[in-house]
Amino acid sequence: MNKGFLLTILAGLLPLTLLAGEYDISVDRVQIDTGDFVKEGIGYNGASPGPVLRFQEGEEVTINVTNNLDEMTSIHWHGLILPFEQDGVPGISFPGIKPGETFTYKFPVVQNGTYWFHSHSGFQEPNGAYGAIVIEPEGREPFRYDREYVVQLTDKHPHSGDRIMRNLKMSADYYNRQQQTVGDFFSESAEKGFMVTLMDRMMWGDMRMMKADIEDVQGFTGLINGKGPEQNWLGLFKPGERVRLRFINSSAMTYFDIRIPGLEMTVVQADGNNVQPVNVDEFRIGVAETYDVIVHIKDEEAYTIFAESMGRSGYARGTLAPEDGMTAEVPELRQAPLLTMADMGGHMDHGGMDHGDMNEDDMAGMDSGDMAMGAEVDHGAMGHGSMDHGDDASLPEDPFYAKGSGLVPTASNGGKFLSYSDLKAQKPLYEDREPTREIELRLTGNMERYEWSINGTKYEDADPIVLQYGERVRFKFVNETMMTHPMHLHGMWSILEVGEGKWNPLKHVISVAPATTVYMETEVDAPGEWAFHCHLSYHAASGMFRKIVVEGGPDSTVAEGKLSGKQGGES
Amino acid sequence: MSRLTASMCGLALTATALATPAIAQEDAGKETQTSRTFWGVSAEKFEYRYSDSDEELAVIEGDAYYGSDELKFLWLFEGEWEEAHNAWETLENQFVAQTPVSDFWDAKAGIRVDTPEGPDRVFGVLGLTGLAPYWFEVDTNLYVSDEGDASVDFEAEYELLITNYWIVSATFETLVAFSEDKEIGVGQGLNSTEVGVRLSYDLIDRAFSPYVGVVHERKYSDTADLARDAGGSTEDWFAVVGARISF
Amino acid sequence: MNPTLKIAALPALVLAFASGAHAAGSHGGGHHGGNVIGEPGNAGNVSRTVEVTMRDNYYEPESIHVQRGETIRFKVTNEGGLVHEFNIGTADMHEAHQDEMQMMVEHGVLKGDHIDHEMMNMDMGNGHSMKHDDPNSVLMEPGESREIIWKFTNATDLEFACNVPGHYQAGMYGDIKIDSTVAAKDGAEGESDSESVQ
Repeated sequence: MNKGFLLTILAGLLPLTLLAGEYDISVDRVQIDTGDFVKEGIGYNGASPGPVLRFQEGEEVTINVTNNLDEMTSIHWHGLILPFEQDGVPGISFPGIKPGETFTYKFPVVQNGTYWFHSHSGFQEPNGAYGAIVIEPEGREPFRYDREYVVQLTDKHPHSGDRIMRNLKMSADYYNRQQQTVGDFFSESAEKGFMVTLMDRMMWGDMRMMKADIEDVQGFTGLINGKGPEQNWLGLFKPGERVRLRFINSSAMTYFDIRIPGLEMTVVQADGNNVQPVNVDEFRIGVAETYDVIVHIKDEEAYTIFAESMGRSGYARGTLAPEDGMTAEVPELRQAPLLTMADMGGHMDHGGMDHGDMNEDDMAGMDSGDMAMGAEVDHGAMGHGSMDHGDDASLPEDPFYAKGSGLVPTASNGGKFLSYSDLKAQKPLYEDREPTREIELRLTGNMERYEWSINGTKYEDADPIVLQYGERVRFKFVNETMMTHPMHLHGMWSILEVGEGKWNPLKHVISVAPATTVYMETEVDAPGEWAFHCHLSYHAASGMFRKIVVEGGPDSTVAEGKLSGKQGGES
Repeated sequence: MSRLTASMCGLALTATALATPAIAQEDAGKETQTSRTFWGVSAEKFEYRYSDSDEELAVIEGDAYYGSDELKFLWLFEGEWEEAHNAWETLENQFVAQTPVSDFWDAKAGIRVDTPEGPDRVFGVLGLTGLAPYWFEVDTNLYVSDEGDASVDFEAEYELLITNYWIVSATFETLVAFSEDKEIGVGQGLNSTEVGVRLSYDLIDRAFSPYVGVVHERKYSDTADLARDAGGSTEDWFAVVGARISF
Repeated sequence: MNPTLKIAALPALVLAFASGAHAAGSHGGGHHGGNVIGEPGNAGNVSRTVEVTMRDNYYEPESIHVQRGETIRFKVTNEGGLVHEFNIGTADMHEAHQDEMQMMVEHGVLKGDHIDHEMMNMDMGNGHSMKHDDPNSVLMEPGESREIIWKFTNATDLEFACNVPGHYQAGMYGDIKIDSTVAAKDGAEGESDSESVQ
């Protein structure tokens, strides 16, 4: 017992004394072979995805990033809590890294878990500039496993980021090949009746909205750790082992629904923070989120990791097997979901021509904060309750989707699908306290023009959101668009409101489904200037982005006693 | 032609000069995180037409743009090359600035320079373009020529998805003049209509979509008389083959 | 959930419990499952005390050796921040018991860091309640310390496990290795042979 105690003490001291790792990363032009196509892209240390950086909690890391490109670059350490100058967002944290230059990041690692890193310059990230971060904890993990793998997903597209952005601006449905066709009209007519179908098309046509508007950018190949479905990433295991899979969604635009047919997964971590374990059959991973799951594989079989895109336009696939060469069946893609009137939320009051000022008017309706609005729209206002979904009673429900939403996920085996409401912190980091104020952020946009904004204002036209060090801010996200937005706050934790008080989970990305209101709270404990944006690459680049300025704090000499005056630009 | 080229260049330069201060004066930081200006070149129609009276035409209709969400500069071009006369029957170049006025509608203003075979005209243009309910793409313009004549055109297009790659597009175009401009064959009142149906296939993304189709052109009243007097036809059916191109 | 709803949902829960327990035999004492996993022990026969610490979400130690026929006093302390269970059974029994625990969570009896005792002990009028009082298990809030005296009558390999939903799958279980030949000496081992966190 004494010996053990001594070892523990020693192990505790080690990080303080010895742990100061130095890492070198080069930013390079690389070839990315997805199996479907080969594309010039950007990678780290000569490959995309880049290396898995393994840090130790308590370590002081020094990372030398050499830019071998002929353009500016940057690396953002996604989800890491660090001084803002080290956060890697050009124009906010630092100017960026010039071609040929080596920039040295240096920061203490104050957390553990699964994270990732990526370029925050232009469209380098969708072009391949991303890698994984694994931080070993100082103490023991609150779970056990025999082996672990990073499972980093992405949606590699044959077009470059610039070209995709340009095409979307020219025609927002440029990449949408799931639009409803004449054939769909006739088959739906046969099923539901001609007039019902016609009325349905008229309603949507009247709003100039598309039910099939779920994935803006289709035509990608889903990759796991850089390997396409045919290249089949392989994770080996020994029967009886417990395997930890660190899922990271590094996609530019794609949400994935992940399952491993035949295996139950126990979710133990979300966005790098341990959660009270939840057994699930399937889960949805938003863009830039991470989920760690443990699977216990008892037999000597191969299992398919199957990650279907939320809009079912593509998938990533890998295999867990006891030996190389073994594969399991790859499921068919399920039918593409369609948005319902419930997902339209704010658009419904204005059937007619003028959508110009809908943002203001609709707030009264949305303010109640609940999602009953969608239901009201479906059954009351429209009078065509059965149109989008004949059997409401059997519809799955999830408080994080509008009631009657077409996006509510279900497990393919009929089992448990993870919901945000299942996420509870394993160990609360902050004391639960009343927020000092609320800031409402309406997620706004115009799909037809492919313009995305917050409170109707794009980044370039907006003032920063000003927060005061030491306050606890409650952010109210009101999604007035029909797209799902993964909102990412840099530098400080997003405490997702799931109604569990101090057990509300800590995240770095909060996915907000169409026509829903979601709350998160933030302990403003990181001085400096931070980025805050939708993590869909082309939404952020279109303007769904803000700078957050945290005034005051330990390092500040200016802001002391200045707490009285300023409010955030958005409140 | 050289005069046209010169005027085009001049306009393009003016457009660029106008665009620069309006779009690029923000601080450098914001610029690195969002895309601010965009461009595109496309030809909605690039086709060969063969009429029921054995007339052969090459038709091109397209645009190039540069600009931001708030302000775009467009060069719109439309030409009909008549094989028999070896000449441009129609040749229009429009240089307009376009800005959103509501969620689905843009207003535009600029000039139009017509330099076909025969007399040239320069017009002032005021237009509205956008997406009407039920997915009709609409474009309508008021023109006032250097001769003082005013006219209005109206174009609508509807796309019907047979599949997500096979697309039928139906187009309707009409021109109404408020006064006569005999020299260029424009009569007062309803001038002409053009109705087209094209079946296209998206061969390479939406960048190259070959199509076949049928187009019906008709001239009315005074305009029809003017056409007859000039020895032209007043009603034509065309078989068309071509491609929609977009960069 | 309002109280009315909770109460309305209770009978279903109790029924499910009853059938679940019988079918899987997870609640030992007196039932047919008792023979497999052993039986409640007599304080007078205790050969040694094994201290088990509950943490979030694992035990210390994670492996225990006992001799067949031995009676052990388990002194279990919950030093974690969440509710945990200490349950002696086979892997199959634990699996069956997890469904019941899942229901306790869904019906609000079991919260992350506390147990709604009032709900749990509520008499449903026909002798049923949701008491979690089987002799082979204890369900404990943070800070609690309890004892189980258990006699291992069979040589079947057992597990001690926490069946709070997700905890078992996350790794909150330990092996009970029952040795029918070697004389019992050291019961608890500081380090486990099954622990293999990387």
